[in-house]
Amino acid sequence: MEILRIEGLSKTFGSGDLEVRALEDISLSVSKGELVALLGPSGSGKTTLLLCISLILEPTTGKIDFDGQTIFQKNGWGGIDIRRVRREKIGFTFQSHNLIPFLTAKQNVIFPLSLVGIKKEVAESRAMELLEYMEIANRGDYLPGLLSGGEQQRVAIARALANKAKLILADEPTASLDTARGMRVMELLKKIARENQSAVIVVTHDERMIKGFDHVYHLKDGCLERNQ
Amino acid sequence: MDLAFYDLKQHRGRFIATVIGVGLLFTIVLAMNGLYRGNIYEGLALINATNPDLWVVERYRGGPFNEQSTIPEFYHYSVKSVPGVERASPFIYYTVERPIEGKSRHFSIIGYDIFGGLGGPQKIFAGRSIQNAHYEMVAHPKLGVHIGDRVTLGLHTYTVVGLTKEAVSSDGEALVYLSLPDAQEVLYQRDNEEVRAQRERLLRDLRGQSYLSPTQAEKLLVPLQSETHIINAVLVRLKPGANRAEVARLIDDWLYLSAFSTENEVELMLKGRLASIAKQLLLFRTLLLLISVVIVSLVVYTFTMEKIRSIAVMKLIGAPNWVIVRMVMEQSLLLTIGAFLFGAVLIMNTHSLFPRTILIVPGDTLLTFIIALAGGILASILGLWQALKTQPAMALGG
Repeated sequence: MEILRIEGLSKTFGSGDLEVRALEDISLSVSKGELVALLGPSGSGKTTLLLCISLILEPTTGKIDFDGQTIFQKNGWGGIDIRRVRREKIGFTFQSHNLIPFLTAKQNVIFPLSLVGIKKEVAESRAMELLEYMEIANRGDYLPGLLSGGEQQRVAIARALANKAKLILADEPTASLDTARGMRVMELLKKIARENQSAVIVVTHDERMIKGFDHVYHLKDGCLERNQ
Repeated sequence: MDLAFYDLKQHRGRFIATVIGVGLLFTIVLAMNGLYRGNIYEGLALINATNPDLWVVERYRGGPFNEQSTIPEFYHYSVKSVPGVERASPFIYYTVERPIEGKSRHFSIIGYDIFGGLGGPQKIFAGRSIQNAHYEMVAHPKLGVHIGDRVTLGLHTYTVVGLTKEAVSSDGEALVYLSLPDAQEVLYQRDNEEVRAQRERLLRDLRGQSYLSPTQAEKLLVPLQSETHIINAVLVRLKPGANRAEVARLIDDWLYLSAFSTENEVELMLKGRLASIAKQLLLFRTLLLLISVVIVSLVVYTFTMEKIRSIAVMKLIGAPNWVIVRMVMEQSLLLTIGAFLFGAVLIMNTHSLFPRTILIVPGDTLLTFIIALAGGILASILGLWQALKTQPAMALGG
């Protein structure tokens, strides 16, 4: 079942002589449980595409359907509470993990649950469940600064999964990890896609990490090429 | 989830230091409030404690506390004869600086008719009132004297026979009550050489007048010497049912004096001597409150800027603006409330150590708290503005 459909998406910055076309006629479809990799060199438009998929950056043209709802078309976001869509349906992990430094690992996972009004006891139990799933439950009461890079990334993934996200967007999730830890994180993402039926889009520049992905797209000068 | 609390828990050292710093500023603001109230209390204490029906002073003068008023002592007989007046008592009030127990002390002296006159100490908490016409005094314990102590003022020594805390002078200094003749003597007492020199000057002037013989000149010398039977005011108690305004009008019109009610005296003080200090303290308080708000604002801004990436992550995750607004504002309010409580507790426990009266009035403290709270909300605006304009995209990338 299709969870994300992008048609003819383009993004232009500036105008006239200063116009830069960051994305050009991008079309993409991702289904539940699918693992998708976006590869590309620096400046190819990976982050711009990720921002558009994250509903942070408004595309110039095109159409985005997400979870059976048209989120973006000619008229813009069309009055949809995009922050709410992000809160309830999209999970994020980042290159630098971006855990909230003053919250413990467990509290970082509870945070997105608190945003959707889940009761404290339920949220705590779900957070512990996710940390156990990520095999880091024993570090639940630690602040991010006391965790290793790999541990932080696992907490970040647990946070992304907290609200049973339908789409997980991972921006260079292995960039700050060594190969072994990077591979471990990728395995976890694959496990999530398989077991939770969440679609996972990973932006990376490291081709070693995308073994076993369902689709691999290459971005070059704002244009998308599908490899497999 | 209380993000503000968790963040402050992480930075508790800095938070506590800031609370103490801003709290000390609030201590000064509250001390200024207390000083303002204390000033008014001290300034009016004597007027309120004496509380006659009318204060009769030199014409067009606002005396005896707000402005110097000088009238001959015998005028109180004239006032007594005005219809409606039951009692009219001479009253003298002045400030001196004299050595007491080897230390130079600044205090005020009240002279009153000790034989049933108005203006004497109303509540004596130790000892008794003045009963002898001379050489007895009732003092405020601020002067550092005790019952039975002997205090030398000028040529004579006075025994402390009573202590009263009822009132202080309008400057907050200790009060000393003396009998009227004693008070006049202390006030007008001059050096003997100076008295002789003045007499010689006056005699020479009189002898220089061609229409006076030497004998006439010498006879005129005594009445022309400086008068010491001078008072500052006459305190009036009215007969039951007498019309105060009418009695005052009669005194004004027929005796060429000015008569004020206690309320008028209070007003004169508030608009006169106490007005400038009140304005001064108001400006200080405003300035200090502004400084407190600016400091809280900068601290909250710094706290917010340190969290800017976390705020971007929160926005990316989908946190609504109110979550971020609440976090920033809570920190600002926690800081303001914490600092205010620190300041309030500190001043409550130290106000008695100040030399002047610091009168902490709950209403003033509450009003300052409300202003501080509004300031705290205002202070968070800078941080809020920064937080709300943060783009979630900032969370992406390395």
